[in-house]
Amino acid sequence: MHSLIQLSIVVLLLPLLSFVILIFFNRRLPRRGDFIGVGILGTAFALSAYIFWSVIVQTYDPAFRIAWDFTWIDLGNVPGVGPLKIKMGVVIDNLTSIMLAMVTLISLLVHIYSTGYMKGDKNYGRYFAFLGIFTFSMLGIILSDNLFSIYIFWELVGLSSYLLIGFFFEKDSAADAQKKAFLANRVGDIGMWLGILILYSQFHTFSFEQIYANLAAGNFALSNGWLTAAGLLLFMGCVGKSAQFPLHVWLPDAMEGPTPVSALIHAATMVAAGVYFVARIFVILTPDALHVIAFVGACTAFMAATIAITQHDIKRVLAYSTVSQLGYMVLGLGVGAYSASLFHLVTHAFFKACLFLGSGAIIHAMHHEQDMRWMGSLWKKMPWTFVTFTIATLALAGLPLTSGFMSKDAILAGAIGFAEAEGGGIYYLIPTLGFFCAMLTAFYMGRQIWLVFFGESRTHLKPADNHHQAHHAHDSHATHGDAHHGAHEVHEVSWNMRAPLVILAVLSLFAVYSPDPLDGAKGWFMKMIPTPATVVGAANPQKGALLSGTVAPHIAGVLRTTEVDVPQPVAAAHGEAKGGHLYTDPRQAEIVHAGHAAHYTAIYISITMVLLGMCLALVFYVFKIIDPEKTARAIRPLYLFSLNKWYWDEIYEATFIKGSMVLARMLSWFDTNVVDGIVNGVATLVRKFAFVNDGFDRHVVDGMVNFTAFTVNTTGAVLRKLQTGKVQTYVVMLMLVLFGYFVFYFTRLIY
Amino acid sequence: MEQLTTIGLNHYLTLSAILLGFGLFAVMTRKNAIVVLMGVELILNAANINFLAFSKYNGGMEGVMFALFVIVIAAAEAAIALAIVINIFKIFKSVDVSRIDSMKE
Repeated sequence: MHSLIQLSIVVLLLPLLSFVILIFFNRRLPRRGDFIGVGILGTAFALSAYIFWSVIVQTYDPAFRIAWDFTWIDLGNVPGVGPLKIKMGVVIDNLTSIMLAMVTLISLLVHIYSTGYMKGDKNYGRYFAFLGIFTFSMLGIILSDNLFSIYIFWELVGLSSYLLIGFFFEKDSAADAQKKAFLANRVGDIGMWLGILILYSQFHTFSFEQIYANLAAGNFALSNGWLTAAGLLLFMGCVGKSAQFPLHVWLPDAMEGPTPVSALIHAATMVAAGVYFVARIFVILTPDALHVIAFVGACTAFMAATIAITQHDIKRVLAYSTVSQLGYMVLGLGVGAYSASLFHLVTHAFFKACLFLGSGAIIHAMHHEQDMRWMGSLWKKMPWTFVTFTIATLALAGLPLTSGFMSKDAILAGAIGFAEAEGGGIYYLIPTLGFFCAMLTAFYMGRQIWLVFFGESRTHLKPADNHHQAHHAHDSHATHGDAHHGAHEVHEVSWNMRAPLVILAVLSLFAVYSPDPLDGAKGWFMKMIPTPATVVGAANPQKGALLSGTVAPHIAGVLRTTEVDVPQPVAAAHGEAKGGHLYTDPRQAEIVHAGHAAHYTAIYISITMVLLGMCLALVFYVFKIIDPEKTARAIRPLYLFSLNKWYWDEIYEATFIKGSMVLARMLSWFDTNVVDGIVNGVATLVRKFAFVNDGFDRHVVDGMVNFTAFTVNTTGAVLRKLQTGKVQTYVVMLMLVLFGYFVFYFTRLIY
Repeated sequence: MEQLTTIGLNHYLTLSAILLGFGLFAVMTRKNAIVVLMGVELILNAANINFLAFSKYNGGMEGVMFALFVIVIAAAEAAIALAIVINIFKIFKSVDVSRIDSMKE
């Protein structure tokens, strides 16, 4: 076993240890054991950083990959299924080591931040325990080398997300939100499981590498439609977990959880798991499946961006922006911009975590005020938060010199390339939506920055009743009455909340990823995460890729070890060399080629759009040339459409929830009337029969018994009379009998 | 006519039957235990007459022997019966057989 594998297993188990210690012993430990959580995560991050250093910095090989697995459960030859052997394993490649470092770093920062943010909460210790199990599950997803264990950790992530969203479970809204998140995720997970089963039924293995190898060797016996279906079903898992249209509804509600949790789970890591998973299965996705994925991503990005522009809650704006950015990532995977999409995943994780932690700092400083309408003028009071928040905002909006610019631009360039390669037409909708969203993002983030940090302080404008409600956690303040509204001492947060913001803001700058602020492809990230060659090419679904030598070297290795007849990879004549890689699948090659060609086009358009969005925000909110409220009135239907989140909740309420209520009522009716009717009918029948039986028993059987007794009794009574006890009676009877005998005897004698 | 003038077997048997009848009547109807015993003696003697009559007309001595036995046994029986009667009197303060019915229960 490679030493890095051993280290990664230690990294995986450390947060679990933190969970076990804290969930059982947090009340017995000083400070409720938060130092254990922070310490363990610190260790895990240190080990992950070492893995990152060894893999990315020292090895610096795009094809680096080590794996180890063991047979977990061997059920032998299961009837009807075939050999069923479930393996567990760990794989470390470039993507894994980057994700490992990213997740442990953000988790560590959130742990540190939470020591300030959650201070004084009555479930302080349990909170850190939940963070531990979340980190464990997330690391499990990252390290898994097969579909089965990834599914297990997938569900564990869902569970920890459920626990943390409903952390303030005394609030109904939090309890509802956690249920909503869990159910929405469940819908996706069902699809994912079905997808896993389709692949398993074909290959009898869960391992990614085995599945790739088998597909590349053309062992998929079903039609191509089934392969597309398997890809899309697996993608459904991502739709649920990464909050893609139409299962995005849970993510904004998940903001009911503590803000550091929103940063860790619902912005940076867990929601990225879906994108990570699609990246893992990227090579088996057919072009049809990829088209669907691209359109779903584009729809999500566009829809969430339009909703974000009208929301008032600072966390909700960020939540919809998260949905929108996840849409970008999925769009990126759909159009084949694999590296760009994962690049965006990582950059987004850092700047969105920074934004959420920043918003947490603001909410903390504002005494649990989340509505941007009542903020303003905070930049002087919270300079650290202001600077870091602004850097992260610029990264999110996608201005040059930030990490977000590079990754978003790479995705958009890929989208243009995709549209050109697919022959234009409807496919141009995807980059168009992408660019439009870039503008919307710039607009709503500009709006947010302005509303929160600039202008006049509007704390005193808040209606009083809401104010008290918002302060239910701070009863002591509420007792002072209304006069003190503006007098809340808004101050910069403590160092343990500031430090994570600074680190995350630094990680949102371009220099971390690439020396050229305009081109992420020159950076180490995109070089280390090359787009893998598909194993289900466009021309020939299964065999084509392999025969033309496009299989990545490590897959070819697997093929050899699995004794599949593999021709050695040969440089195909029509192969397109890009960054040292061969994309002999013509479609993939064309997309990558066109994407590279579109690089500067994308930069120009996206910078224009971003500046346009920012100008719009300035026009609306800074210079007040156009009054946003008047505009909202002028286009009221559109405004309401956006404010009410495209009415998705209402639509689901009207269809699925009402539908299931109606169904439940129908079933309830069926249950009360038919099922119960049958049961009651049977019962009545049994009663009737029992009644008849009872009568028979009472009258016939008992009658017979009683009659016998009666007869015996009567006979006895009669015969008792004869038993006088007097000797003379007996003598008389003796004589009578004797006489009778004689009479009888002599009568016979005579006749 | 000859049968009325000459004493034959039938006369003995008839006498015996009459005696038996008297005896039975006494046993069945009398209330005094002593009288009942006397009735029993009559019955025994009726049997004795039968034995003797048959013995005479049959020509053997078996009947006589039986009659002798019966007389002896009757004597013994009378002794025992009288003893029983005395005991009964001690218990019931009466020798009325109709009142001695404790066997009923």
